[in-house]
Amino acid sequence: MEKTDILKQVQDIFRDILDDKNIILSDASTAEDIEDWDSLTHIQLIKAIEKNFSIRFTSREILSWNNVGEMLDCIKSKL
Amino acid sequence: MEINSTGFLLFFIVVFLVYYIPLKNSAKEQNLWLLLCSYISLAIIDWRVVPLLIGATSLFYGLGLWIDRYNHRDERKAEWLTTAGVIAGVGILVYFKYLGFLVEASMQFLQHLGWQVSPLTLNIMMPVGVSFFTFKLISYIVEIHRCHMPPCRDFVAFATYIAFFPTFLSGPIDRPKPFLSQLQTARSFTYPSVENQAVDGLRQILWGLFKKVVVADSFLRFIEVGWSKTDECTPMALLLVFLIHPVQLYADFSGYTDMAIGVGKMLGIHVAKNFNYPFFAQNMADYWRRWHMSLTSWLTDYVFMPLNIRFRDWNNAGIILACMINMLVVGIWHGANWTYALFGLYHGLLFIPLILNGTFASKKKVKFEGYIPPLGYVGKMLLTYLLVAGGLLIFRADSITSLLHFIRNLAFGVSPLCDVSLDANQFPLATFLFTLLMLTAEWVAMHKKKEYALQLSTEWKTWVRYTAYMALVLLYLLKVGGAHQFIYAQF
Repeated sequence: MEKTDILKQVQDIFRDILDDKNIILSDASTAEDIEDWDSLTHIQLIKAIEKNFSIRFTSREILSWNNVGEMLDCIKSKL
Repeated sequence: MEINSTGFLLFFIVVFLVYYIPLKNSAKEQNLWLLLCSYISLAIIDWRVVPLLIGATSLFYGLGLWIDRYNHRDERKAEWLTTAGVIAGVGILVYFKYLGFLVEASMQFLQHLGWQVSPLTLNIMMPVGVSFFTFKLISYIVEIHRCHMPPCRDFVAFATYIAFFPTFLSGPIDRPKPFLSQLQTARSFTYPSVENQAVDGLRQILWGLFKKVVVADSFLRFIEVGWSKTDECTPMALLLVFLIHPVQLYADFSGYTDMAIGVGKMLGIHVAKNFNYPFFAQNMADYWRRWHMSLTSWLTDYVFMPLNIRFRDWNNAGIILACMINMLVVGIWHGANWTYALFGLYHGLLFIPLILNGTFASKKKVKFEGYIPPLGYVGKMLLTYLLVAGGLLIFRADSITSLLHFIRNLAFGVSPLCDVSLDANQFPLATFLFTLLMLTAEWVAMHKKKEYALQLSTEWKTWVRYTAYMALVLLYLLKVGGAHQFIYAQF
């Protein structure tokens, strides 16, 4: 799967979980840029992404991401 | 040497002049100067902390380099080194802060079980700032292990980050990456300038002094009598003590924080934010995002998040468990006393309804035009304030016994035979009016997205601005006297 396809699916998950249809993600996006993306919703997003792509992240992977781009790279490496 | 003392003022004048005149062109020399001044100021307070600090700084500096070396070559070794570092950091904290209490509590427990043990009391002196600098050290190695930053290869810069004197005693707890990046370039003083940090820093110090001296210290006696002579206070006086305590603690701690941030700005360094108008929070989760933010965000990143990730398959039960553990750590961080553990437990329990009804995560604000909030918003703010005040009853009590004693007297009153030491008519009304002024200014400042309330003055005409500054200085001079220690200096 191409990274742009992954980004599109992840963006849909963000819009659904955070209940905001206007969210637009890019590689550089961080929690600072998106209202309601905090420590708790982060876990809900992780669970939804894991379910959507049928993958499982390790704690270290989740804690090491600096932005959406690094998360997408991690998803791509598991597909 | 407290940040609001004359000694500190004289010390800071020397620091400031040397920093910006002979050393203005060299980041390395400015950092070395800050480090020397930090160690000197700490040695004046308690010289014993300096060798401990140098030792711990050297150890974690080396660990940072070591973890980075193995981060991409041998993940298990990097993990092991990080764990060892975290244990060392927590170990320093436990040894100096909790060991005496733990030994005593264990002895009492064994005696309760019927074992014959002789009482043992450890007299371990807690070094100043230990709760703050150990958290900075831990944060540094964890951030390297998580690949959020490269290790610092400049020992002086790293040691300056750990020992930075404006924040060493009571925080805020700065994160390594944003702080260290500011030490890479020389800080210069330019005046006049719209974005002059030193002027903004001075203004923030003035606001901090107002909060500390005019509000916090003026309420202090009323609250102290309420707690030390609970038997001699009328229920109405105790109710006022209960209601005013959050404001007093806030004015004291955020007043100190404003001064520390202001001193940092005067040195060209942005220190982490610690408060974001907490009394305007709409629920307890919102409150904890606004109160002692540098501690709560630290614990969110290094305690709550790893636990929440680990428990993520348990749904709400996992979140509740992570939250309870996190809040228990928040409580215990304040000191070795059962009351602090109970304080943490109380706040953990308050999160449960928010998690169950899904409002824990919601940061969406109730929108309204102008400065007049809708009734529902006010109700939520007041309820949150009362819950905070309830928690601070536990926080302020010396022991569970004195907590129950206070609550009993608050509910049922004192014996009519007692002499009354504190009545409601002794309540400092003038201070209450200054509190209303402070909170009103903060309400407006929050809506205008100002960092602190007196920053509103940047929008005023020059003569109004300087009149306000002079009024605050005058109030400070009228109220100052009998310097009271900052409450958070004990933690």
